[in-house]
Amino acid sequence: MAKIIIPTALRQFVDQHDSVEVTGGTVGEALGQLTAQYPNIKKNLYTEQGKLRSFVNVYVNDEDIRYLDKDATRLEGTEIISIVPSIAGGAVGLAEPETAALSNEEVARYSRHLILPEVGMDGQLKLKQGKVLLIGAGGLGAPLGLYLAAAGVGRIGLVDFDVVDASNLQRQVIHGTSDIGRKKIDSAADRMLEINPNLRVDKFDTGLTSENALNILKDYDVVVDGTDNFPTRYLVNDACVLQKKPNVYGSIFRFEGQATVFAYEDGPCYRCLYPEPPPPGLVPSCAEGGVLGILPGLVGLIQATETVKILLGVGETLKNRLLLYDALNMRFRELRLRRDPDCPVCGTHPTVTKLIDYQEFCGVRPAPAQVAGGDGVIDVTEVKQKLDRGDNFVLIDVREPHEYQIARIPGAKLIPLGELPKHLGELDPNAEYVMHCKTGGRSQKATDLLKQSGFKNVRNMTGGITAWSDKVDPTVPKY
Amino acid sequence: MIEIETSPWQAMVLHAERTYPNECCGAMLGRVSGDNKQVVAAIPLANSFSGEQGARYELRPADLLEADRAARARGLDLIGIFHSHPDCDAYFSETDLKHSCPWYSFVVLSVYNGKFDHAKSFLPDPDQTSADDEELKWPKS
Repeated sequence: MAKIIIPTALRQFVDQHDSVEVTGGTVGEALGQLTAQYPNIKKNLYTEQGKLRSFVNVYVNDEDIRYLDKDATRLEGTEIISIVPSIAGGAVGLAEPETAALSNEEVARYSRHLILPEVGMDGQLKLKQGKVLLIGAGGLGAPLGLYLAAAGVGRIGLVDFDVVDASNLQRQVIHGTSDIGRKKIDSAADRMLEINPNLRVDKFDTGLTSENALNILKDYDVVVDGTDNFPTRYLVNDACVLQKKPNVYGSIFRFEGQATVFAYEDGPCYRCLYPEPPPPGLVPSCAEGGVLGILPGLVGLIQATETVKILLGVGETLKNRLLLYDALNMRFRELRLRRDPDCPVCGTHPTVTKLIDYQEFCGVRPAPAQVAGGDGVIDVTEVKQKLDRGDNFVLIDVREPHEYQIARIPGAKLIPLGELPKHLGELDPNAEYVMHCKTGGRSQKATDLLKQSGFKNVRNMTGGITAWSDKVDPTVPKY
Repeated sequence: MIEIETSPWQAMVLHAERTYPNECCGAMLGRVSGDNKQVVAAIPLANSFSGEQGARYELRPADLLEADRAARARGLDLIGIFHSHPDCDAYFSETDLKHSCPWYSFVVLSVYNGKFDHAKSFLPDPDQTSADDEELKWPKS
């Protein structure tokens, strides 16, 4: 028999029992038995029309039945059923804005929308009632935030834990030079509210994690993925599929961009396209590989267009189509996408039914704490001392020639990582080596390569030339 | 009438002042006899509203379930919910009403500039259309 736990406030209606045991194959039947046995409790749980009151949530073990099969949720007979009210509130001064009508100011502001038959008054109200979550306030998030705010989307959530850096300004046009050092969510929200003060911005000063994702996503209609890494991309995808929210996807690299809409209606999800993440390190990030500053503007606006169309319910979205954009040759192509019936998340028999550890899934392990001077690594200040002392060692820079042109450490020998294997024969395996790159990633691979090739004394310079600029020589530019 | 004893009252005020400028929330445990309610314990709970919490709060259902369990374990009832209104008077707002539950007393604490100012208690109806004032007594220091 399943057991229904009675909230203390309702025990007076069930002869002061803590819990009531019921049979029944579904939650609906179990609750029916409860109200048949104790008719006085019924009006506390149901409206006169026989619907569960809006403040009543029913949990089976730890799951809300709204996310299971609602009333039809099957019972084995061993479950604990809990009745929990949903309670919230807040001071009226800043409560939900009026969304059932447009003010005169809004009519004037949106007049070019209002005279489009595809938008009109109804459509503009849909935008005003629309709630969009932007994951990332960077390259893609910048044009998204600006244009969605201007278009009249009523509520926009921003998720980002980063601060504005000088290297962002080449493409993240929502931030200005005076914003360097500010939190991206603060800088972006200020700019968006300056464009449209009717907007409500929710700021989430955090990374999206498996722990917080469902709670952050739950209030929004559409989720827009503007992230730059695989673990978060899979996390956003899975959370959207689990909560049945469209995932407006975009990604950029160097001169190429992609966009589509995942998990929308009966369309495919990101895992239908890429069931497995690439091996870590195979696909460089924008910080490693570079990106044309204009590119995220175009890709972000394709995402903004799809977001607005989904809110309006007009046109044909990119569902089932992956749009590929090549800025260097100015070509657009499309790939046909299909939902995979064997997809582990959105397939017929899903094996992923809750959020997992995405760092582990993508093979990204948190970097082990690197101890300066410890085995295999060396701190920049120690390298500086060795150079000053004239120690007999070779400093090898494994970056690309165009990076070497931007910044270099005097005395370093340039051998790009890709060239290193064919130059191994020129290096003395008994000499002492220090490897460096921009931040320490590529030089770690170089260090490993040399060690595997029988070199005895090889160390990786922690933090690369960026740390050199921070700790040793600030005249070396950071890029 | 709802009367709050000294120790739960201090816990509620402390929680409201520490959470300022955001809204705080929590559960009140006690006993009911007829229309008279006695609050003997208060449990501060996390505000789980996603977004700006300066004028909104939300209780996690799991926390409410836990508070109910705690009441049961002590032979008490979960009889009320409290929350704060930072820099705003203690009235039952439209937002409060629309997300209320008639099983409980709702105590609202007004906090101005980080200091407790005044409080009121309300009894919402099952249709979430109106809330009656409830006489509230707290220990005056």
